[in-house]
Amino acid sequence: MLSDFGIVLLALIFAAVALMLVFGISWLLRPKKPTIEKLTTYESGEDPIGNANIRFNIRFYVVALIFILFDVELVFLFPWATVFGNKEFIEQTNGQWGWFTLVEMVIFIVVLALGLAYVWAKGHLEWVKPEIKASKFKGKVPMSMYENVNKKYEEL
Amino acid sequence: MYPILVLSITGIITLFLGFLKSKKVLLPATLFFVTLAFFANLYDWNKPGLYFNNMLQVNNFTILLSAVILLSAFLIIALTKGFIDDEHAQPAEYFAILQFSLVGAIMMTGFQNLIMLFIGVEILSVSMYVLTGSDKRNLRGNEAALKYFLMGSFATGIMLFGIAMLYGANYSFNIDAARTVVTQMVSTQHSSVYLYVGVTFLLIGLLFKVSAAPFHFWTPDVYEGAPTIFTTFMSTIVKTAGFAAIYRILEVSFSPIYSFWWVMVIIMTVLSLIISNVTAVSQGSFKRMLAFSSVSHAGYMLMAVVGLSNKSDDSIVFYSLAYSLATISAFGVLMAVSKEKLVDGRPDESIAVLNGLSKRNPFLAFILAISMLSLAGIPLTAGFWGKFYVFSDAAFRGHIWLLVVAILMSAVGIYYYFKPIIAAYMRESEGEAISLTPFYKIILGITTFGSILLGLFPDLLRSLM
Repeated sequence: MLSDFGIVLLALIFAAVALMLVFGISWLLRPKKPTIEKLTTYESGEDPIGNANIRFNIRFYVVALIFILFDVELVFLFPWATVFGNKEFIEQTNGQWGWFTLVEMVIFIVVLALGLAYVWAKGHLEWVKPEIKASKFKGKVPMSMYENVNKKYEEL
Repeated sequence: MYPILVLSITGIITLFLGFLKSKKVLLPATLFFVTLAFFANLYDWNKPGLYFNNMLQVNNFTILLSAVILLSAFLIIALTKGFIDDEHAQPAEYFAILQFSLVGAIMMTGFQNLIMLFIGVEILSVSMYVLTGSDKRNLRGNEAALKYFLMGSFATGIMLFGIAMLYGANYSFNIDAARTVVTQMVSTQHSSVYLYVGVTFLLIGLLFKVSAAPFHFWTPDVYEGAPTIFTTFMSTIVKTAGFAAIYRILEVSFSPIYSFWWVMVIIMTVLSLIISNVTAVSQGSFKRMLAFSSVSHAGYMLMAVVGLSNKSDDSIVFYSLAYSLATISAFGVLMAVSKEKLVDGRPDESIAVLNGLSKRNPFLAFILAISMLSLAGIPLTAGFWGKFYVFSDAAFRGHIWLLVVAILMSAVGIYYYFKPIIAAYMRESEGEAISLTPFYKIILGITTFGSILLGLFPDLLRSLM
């Protein structure tokens, strides 16, 4: 019989093997056309090496932040899942245990879902492109003059 | 435990109320929610118990502290005027964050488990980091928020390390279990280094949050940079909750090893008192002066912790209330006066802005005078009795020289607390009369009335305990 640490070791080995398998398959199947851009470390769209005193693009971080929120939610679901279906507890409480834990988890997820709804309504999920405002400058030279110049050189 | 539930739900409701077209509903709604939490808090009066799987304790002491926190929160939120003057403000988010931070503060008053303490401290701190930087266009505010965040998270790390060490020493996060282990250690003469490291680091983390010297360096900059309304929140509610936590952990878990930690705490008390009072004397900015004054009041409140008599808990509740009322009035007056005169596009927050206040608005000058007298600890104000009680706690353990230092430093305090009063009553006025909304007047009236009432009848609060 495995001890608890034995199970952890098995999980570690399995994770390593699975990763190698996945990367190995993709390494065998993928086309190999490296560019400088592709070979740089992924750093949320920023240059990984260079001056840190630059403007960051904040949109990556907003999405990453919202992702982390739900990532953590998932992490909390795992320990809950181990006790949710616990036969002993369910028998001891005549089935109330299941309902109790279910309601608790529903409240937890509803609160997070409310957060998602709020973020959505506020428009943080939209990947807005930077607005390019057309210049309002009006020159004194009329546009027809430019057109005449163009026509003149086209004729030549 | 009910206010935690109430405020968690109403905080989310407030967030969604922000989608309404009219921003006017937010202030009354938030005030109603906080009132609701206040009465939900009182519902457990004389019904002590443990909640959430022994995570949280409710007894009359925690209820009174929560009541002080919620009352201060009500008064501060009432002074915001709903942020309608500021077009860039996000009132719904501010009010929601304020309510969430109150949840953290209430957790800190009644934690039964060190994990709960950590969560409470974090909820309160993270809310404060955000609110400090809420004025996004103010460079000083941004600087303050970053400074507060970096130093605060560092302190949190130290505190967490202390909690981990305590777990190693006690095999439990429960503070009652910790007491059992500590008592055993004392009786068997078997000491564990983890315990001492843990207590020290946990204390450092918590004392940082209440800005006691030598961990006060962030205080003046952060208090000055943050919007005044959130400075008020920081200097009253964070301090009350922090001292509730410090007192609770030391009294419940570590009173058997008093001989170990009293030297440490007494050094910090003396440092807080001397550094803050001496530095406050030379401050030109009213807000900075109040920041140093808040450090000095942290020192006075630590005296109740050092004393650890059976009356210390009453003293902490009384001192928190007296200090909160006076601070809210002082900042309330500052907010009303400072926006009249702009320096570099920001409200002028120097002491000189109060010049001739008695002619521009006698009501505000009176409020200011009472709050300064209460902070200085002049008799017939609440501040006097607050000081009296913490001094008697320190005397209970026979720390006479600490008393001498504290009384000398109170005398220094009187000097700089009178500077605003002199400015308001003796200096020439420069500027027009200041008009206030009736609601603003009522709130400032309540805080001042409270200061005087508790100064005349201190037993009103003490008899409750």
